[in-house]
Amino acid sequence: MILASLDFSQFFSTELAGEVFSSICVVFIICVLAIIVSILARKADPLKKPKGLLFIAETGVNFFDGLVSNLMGPRFEGFGGFIMAIAVYLFLSFIWGLTGLPSPCTYLAVPLSLGLIVFVLIHATSIKYTKWKYFKRYVDPIPIFLPVNLISMWAPLLSLTMRLFGNAIAGWTLMTIIYWGFAKIQDLIFSAIPSVFREIVFTPFLTPLLHCYFDLFSGFIQTTVFIFLSMIFISMEAPEEELEKVMVKGGK
Amino acid sequence: MYTAIGAGLAILAVIPSALGEAWVCCHTIDGMSRNPEMYGKLRTNMILSCALVETTAIYALLTAILIIFVAK
Repeated sequence: MILASLDFSQFFSTELAGEVFSSICVVFIICVLAIIVSILARKADPLKKPKGLLFIAETGVNFFDGLVSNLMGPRFEGFGGFIMAIAVYLFLSFIWGLTGLPSPCTYLAVPLSLGLIVFVLIHATSIKYTKWKYFKRYVDPIPIFLPVNLISMWAPLLSLTMRLFGNAIAGWTLMTIIYWGFAKIQDLIFSAIPSVFREIVFTPFLTPLLHCYFDLFSGFIQTTVFIFLSMIFISMEAPEEELEKVMVKGGK
Repeated sequence: MYTAIGAGLAILAVIPSALGEAWVCCHTIDGMSRNPEMYGKLRTNMILSCALVETTAIYALLTAILIIFVAK
């Protein structure tokens, strides 16, 4: 990794780098949560009101289903689960930075694979709805535009990946620099106190605010932007005439 | 030393990005004062578009970090 040259990721004596370790942790947490929710949902009585964790899960599923049917239209009803999975994984991986370990998104493979999923879905949706006319997009106005179209095809993948990766790595680098700078300042100002007490003078009171911005706020905003953009990219691929037909049929 | 100068030049791309964010906020507040009942919708859209505009600045920061730590 990029930051390996700074020895940022040497938190563990094992072979795993910090980012890989936190990525495994986040996936493990999501697995455990999903298993608990599925057991609760199987046991629950459908006639009673849900409680606790099950209530939160149901609210989330309802919210994402509503969002998808509002934004993407009635043809993409099944996308709620996919969008919710991506949103939960992204948000958890951003707030994983609160533990002091690097967020999984600072490992380029994680945002790249999320971007690749959306990229493949965009083209699969296009093939599904336009069939053989899919290849027309590469020679869109005239055939001379073929190289331009072949390059601009990768733009969504690059922008989705780099947005996540850049945010995560910028937050992580800035937090590391701030911790280092606070330690230096404390050493300079309070050099009379023994070093054990010196470290807790003001760093523990100032850094949580910055963690709130870089991990919670930025993570929430980036999750929202990522799912909104992927929903818009995917739903743009379906032609609009078909939607009108569906609506006319539904109206009759 | 040239690495530091290059990183400093790369981060200059935040200037238009900041101007763009100011533009977004300016027009949102304009819209809010003209049409106060749209407050909630406008705020959500403003935060979303700010995050989108910010992307350019983040690319610049990423480039600067890459120049310092990787290109050397």
